[in-house]
Amino acid sequence: MSLLEIKNAHLKLDNKEILKGVSLSVNKGEVHAIMGPNGSGKSTLSYMLAGREGYELETGEILLEGNPLNEMSADERARSGLFLAFQYPVELPGVGGMSFLREAVNSRRKFLGEEEFDHLGFVKEARKEASKMFVKDEMLKRAVNVGFSGGEKKRFEILQMAMLKPKVSILDETDSGLDVDALKIVSEGVNAQRNKENAIVVITHYQRLLDYIVPDFVHILSDGAIIKSGGPELALEVEKNGYAGLINAA
Amino acid sequence: MLHDVKEDYVRSIKKYTSSYHENHFRSLASKDFNGWPNPLEEKWRLSRLGALSRIKMLPIKPDLKKVSDSNKKLGSYILKFIDGAFREDLSSELPTGISLKELNEKESLEFFHKIKESDLNNHPSTNVSLSCTPSIIKLTVNKDTNVKELIEIFYEGGHQNFSVHPVLYVELKENSNLSLIENFNHFTSLVMPLQLTEIQEKGSLKSIKIFDDNDDTYNLSAHCALLSKEATFNSFSLVKGGIFTRSETHAYLNGTNAKLNLNGVYISGKKQHHDLTTAIYHDVPDCTSKQIVRGVLGGFSSGVFQGKVRVAPDAQKTDGQQMSKAILVSKNANANAKPELEIYADDVVCAHGATVGELDDDQLFYLNSRGIPENKARQMLIQAFLKDIINDSVDGQYHDYIFNEAQSSLSSILNEEK
Repeated sequence: MSLLEIKNAHLKLDNKEILKGVSLSVNKGEVHAIMGPNGSGKSTLSYMLAGREGYELETGEILLEGNPLNEMSADERARSGLFLAFQYPVELPGVGGMSFLREAVNSRRKFLGEEEFDHLGFVKEARKEASKMFVKDEMLKRAVNVGFSGGEKKRFEILQMAMLKPKVSILDETDSGLDVDALKIVSEGVNAQRNKENAIVVITHYQRLLDYIVPDFVHILSDGAIIKSGGPELALEVEKNGYAGLINAA
Repeated sequence: MLHDVKEDYVRSIKKYTSSYHENHFRSLASKDFNGWPNPLEEKWRLSRLGALSRIKMLPIKPDLKKVSDSNKKLGSYILKFIDGAFREDLSSELPTGISLKELNEKESLEFFHKIKESDLNNHPSTNVSLSCTPSIIKLTVNKDTNVKELIEIFYEGGHQNFSVHPVLYVELKENSNLSLIENFNHFTSLVMPLQLTEIQEKGSLKSIKIFDDNDDTYNLSAHCALLSKEATFNSFSLVKGGIFTRSETHAYLNGTNAKLNLNGVYISGKKQHHDLTTAIYHDVPDCTSKQIVRGVLGGFSSGVFQGKVRVAPDAQKTDGQQMSKAILVSKNANANAKPELEIYADDVVCAHGATVGELDDDQLFYLNSRGIPENKARQMLIQAFLKDIINDSVDGQYHDYIFNEAQSSLSSILNEEK
């Protein structure tokens, strides 16, 4: 059984068909990259998977470990083990980083039947994980994403991923807005979490990120459908010839 | 035949005052009350008293034996008003430098004229409470006195179909400091608190008011504040109780370099109506006034913020800021904001802004996408919305207390929406 299965997903936004039959099967231990030009439906795909309101499937099915996600709300999907790292992490003025993380982690633990963290226990755990992601203590005291640099925001996303221990992580254009050094830190953070039990779906424009997070499979999304799948070499082909060549060939 | 209860209440006020033959100010005040404000009056258009005028009521005769079980929560010293009457037997003895007295006839008349000179001259609480208050109580802080301890005032009591009339006069002499917290917890049809605050040169008052009367109580609070040169007044109101609460504050910046912060939060659910109305008069140069108002509305509630800032022609270098934001958590709730700037001076910085809206979808989705359930996510965002204004308005040691007071109302509103 696949860890994540997308079957023939169709989705309309404002009466316009954006996803036109996307199918994808992701197994445990795999990293998949979905590449595509602007407007191909990449962000829609990530919102659809995460369960954002308004991004419900017209037809098709999504399964996480064989359980249908279609009818689940975003928070239920997240508690079940799905994680979306945002392209543009949202600022939450007045919501402290530490209490936000604790609320999120405890929601997931409660779902898994694990004991919830008390305040002190959590602070210790969060600091340990944060230091691995070069997230300073001071950042956890501030309001979530408020006044964070681009790099800080993305590091904070990956810190959340590390603490939530999801089964499937979708990284939506995690490389956008990052310089090379920041990209390296974020990628190392992601790689540290790869294991035999989970899976990662990397959504990106550019091949650059895939130098750091090396995928097992690469898929090309164009005009709402996956038009080609292959190994890491496919990303290099995109880098060399652009999307146009691939799209025309398909 | 229709029984006109409105006329009855007006008659009962006149009758009540006639029992005090010696009190001239009462009969003067009662002459000016001829019924509730008409909704055609602009000031009362958004907060109508039609339902109140249909309640059969009499001014209460205070029961001086009534006790209360409220206990001090924050203050080192407590003062209690029950049925509108000050209760020395239930109050603390005040520290040196502060005194408390009942105004005599002559002083009461002076008090009457001070209030009547303000724009609160025709507020119903001015006229009715001056007519019917058991006595006007004055709290004076002596010159150069720095009162370190918090003074906590409880206003309680009342009875169904009765109105309650506490009147308080607070004077801070030159270079003195005071922190007050006032709790309104009546169990009555109507309470009409009237207050005059005078802050003399370099005096500084920090005031917190928590309006938390019983579910079917009307509270029409009227407060006039007079600030002298370099005086500071930090006022924060939390409005959460009653069926209808209007807290109206008029502040006069009469001395240069006076500073005013007039902040407030209202949290409304069910069929509650909450109204923060303010008027700030910049009459001299170099004064600062800041107002931040936040409202959270659920159920079928309604909220109003009316804020007037008037800058007189001579009041150059005035800095007047006003910002109100309301969040609706129910489709059946509504909020009105009416900022009014009247500026007659040309070298001033004045700004205002008002928004009414729902919680931000992106923020909600972000929290949900981390596994945080919808209701908890909404709660977190609303708490965040209130947290910074509470942190800005209230001294650090009271943050948690005020926040918890707000929190208890928020939880019940959000549960209503489930």
